[in-house]
Amino acid sequence: MAQFSSSRSSQHSQSTGILLSNVSHGFDGTAVLTDITLTVSRGETLVVIGPSGTGKTTLIRLLALFDSPDSGRILVGDTNLWSLSTDERLAARRRIGMVFQEPNLFEASVQRNVSYGHRVRLGWRARLRQWARRLVGDSSSPVVEETLEVVGLADAARRSTGSLSGGEAQRVAFARALAYDPEFLLLDEPTSDLDPRNTAVIEQAVETARDDGLGVVVATHDMQQAERIADRVAVLLDGRLIEVGPTEEVFTNPEDRRTQRFIDGELLY
Amino acid sequence: MIETTPVGPVTAGTLFDANFLLVDVPFEQGYIESIIRVSLLVSLTAVILSTLVGLPVALAVGFTEFPGKRLVVALINTGMGLPSVVVGLLVLFGVSNQGPLGSLDLVFTREAMIISQFVLATPVVTGVSLAAVTEIEDGVRDAAYVMGGTRLDVALVTISEARAGIVTAVLAGLGRAISEVGSVLIVGGNIVRADGTSVTRTLTTAIQLEARQGRFEIALLLGGVLIALVLVINGIVLRIGGRRY
Repeated sequence: MAQFSSSRSSQHSQSTGILLSNVSHGFDGTAVLTDITLTVSRGETLVVIGPSGTGKTTLIRLLALFDSPDSGRILVGDTNLWSLSTDERLAARRRIGMVFQEPNLFEASVQRNVSYGHRVRLGWRARLRQWARRLVGDSSSPVVEETLEVVGLADAARRSTGSLSGGEAQRVAFARALAYDPEFLLLDEPTSDLDPRNTAVIEQAVETARDDGLGVVVATHDMQQAERIADRVAVLLDGRLIEVGPTEEVFTNPEDRRTQRFIDGELLY
Repeated sequence: MIETTPVGPVTAGTLFDANFLLVDVPFEQGYIESIIRVSLLVSLTAVILSTLVGLPVALAVGFTEFPGKRLVVALINTGMGLPSVVVGLLVLFGVSNQGPLGSLDLVFTREAMIISQFVLATPVVTGVSLAAVTEIEDGVRDAAYVMGGTRLDVALVTISEARAGIVTAVLAGLGRAISEVGSVLIVGGNIVRADGTSVTRTLTTAIQLEARQGRFEIALLLGGVLIALVLVINGIVLRIGGRRY
C-alpha cells in the first residue's frame, strides 16, 4: 500500500488526517470509550479535555495504534489502519509520535534516546555501521542537536537521563517524539507533573510543531492549558464525546450543559 | 586410549616451586591448565547455550499472557533448585546406549557434561532474567513501540533496560554450572589421559578427588584457582554488561 510507504516524501505528499469512526473500546468487559467519532487534521492542535478516568489515555493509545478498537474503525483516508498488514501498519505507526505522562526514557544518554526513532528505521546493516562508529567515539547527530534545541536542551545530548530533572526528562521525551519527523504528535497529560517554566517550554514546542504542519492531539484536564494551546477542543465525559468545536466556542458558548459545568469545575469525578 | 590416572602423593619440596601457579604440584605438566580449560569450556558453553534459550523464554513468558503462565513460572522457579546428581543421572540415562541420545556416543564426554550443566543453568538464567525483564516498566516498552519499534526492537530495548539483571542471571547460571560437582562426575567420569591431562576432569571434580584422597592443600589450591577464575569472569561479564544501550 503506497500510502504507508516508508518514504518520507511520499508520506508527506499523500498525508491526510486520522479519523476515528464510531470507535468503542473497553477492558475486561467494561466500556471505556463509546461510539467516538473524531477527526485529527494536520496543522491543528486538538485538545481532549475531561476529568481523570474518563478515557482520554485510552483514546490517545487508540490513535497511537497500541490497541485495535473493540468496534468502529481508525481510518487514514479510506484505509482502515487495523485492516492493514503488520508491515503496513508499522509504516502507519511510524508517522505518529507520542509523549506520555511519564517521560519513559531509556537508561542511556539523552542522545541515544532522541535518536532511537531514527535508529529503528534503519536496516540492520546500517545499524551495525552506526554501532561500530559509536564504538570508536563518533556519535554526533545534527538531527538530535536540532531537536533538542526546540525544547531548550541543546547542550544536553551527552548527559545521562539519570542526571535530568523531571522537567528536563519530559522535554527530552518531547524531543524524542519529534526527532523522527512524525506527521501526528500525541501527548497524554504531558505537563501534569511539570513546573510553569517547563510547561511553557512544552506548550511553545507544541505550537511550533503545529505550525510545522503536524497534527497535534493533547489529552489534559488542565482547562487553562487547553484554552492556551487548542485550535479545537473535544470534551470527553464518561467515555463519550459530548462536544467538539473551536476552542473559543467550546469555552464561551458550549452546546452541552455538562461542558459548561465541567469547565466551571462543578462536575466532580 | 583414554584411561584414568591417579595422581601421585604430595611430597616435600613439591610445593612453591616456580611453575605458572608459583606452586609445584604433584601433577604431570599441563594438568592444571587442562582442567581449567575443560572447566571453562564446559561451563561457558553451557551458560552461553542457557542464555540463548533462557533469555527468549524469559521475554516470552514475561510479556505474554497465556493460560498456564503461572504454572510455567512455577516450573522455572522449581528448576532453579534441581538436585545436580539427579540431573546427572537423567542425562546419563539420556546419553547411555539405551537412551534417546545413545547413538551419539556421549557417555563420559565433555558434551554430556555440557548437557547436564545446561539443564542445571537454564532455569537459573531463565528465572533471574524473567524477574529482571518483568521489572521493566511498561512505559519504556510502550515508548519503544510508539517510536516505530518492531517486536524485536521492543525486545532489544527491554533487554538493554534489564541488562543489569540479565548479567546477574548469566553470572548466577555460570556460578551454578562451574561450581557443580555431582552431575559432571556422573556424566563425565572425571577422566584424565595417560599423559595426565584432563579429558573430563574439571576443577570441582579435581577438588573432590583431592579432598577424598586427603590432599587438602592441593584441594584448597584448586579451590583458590576456581574462585579466581570466577572472579575474573564476573569482572569481564560485568564490564561488558555495564555498557550503556
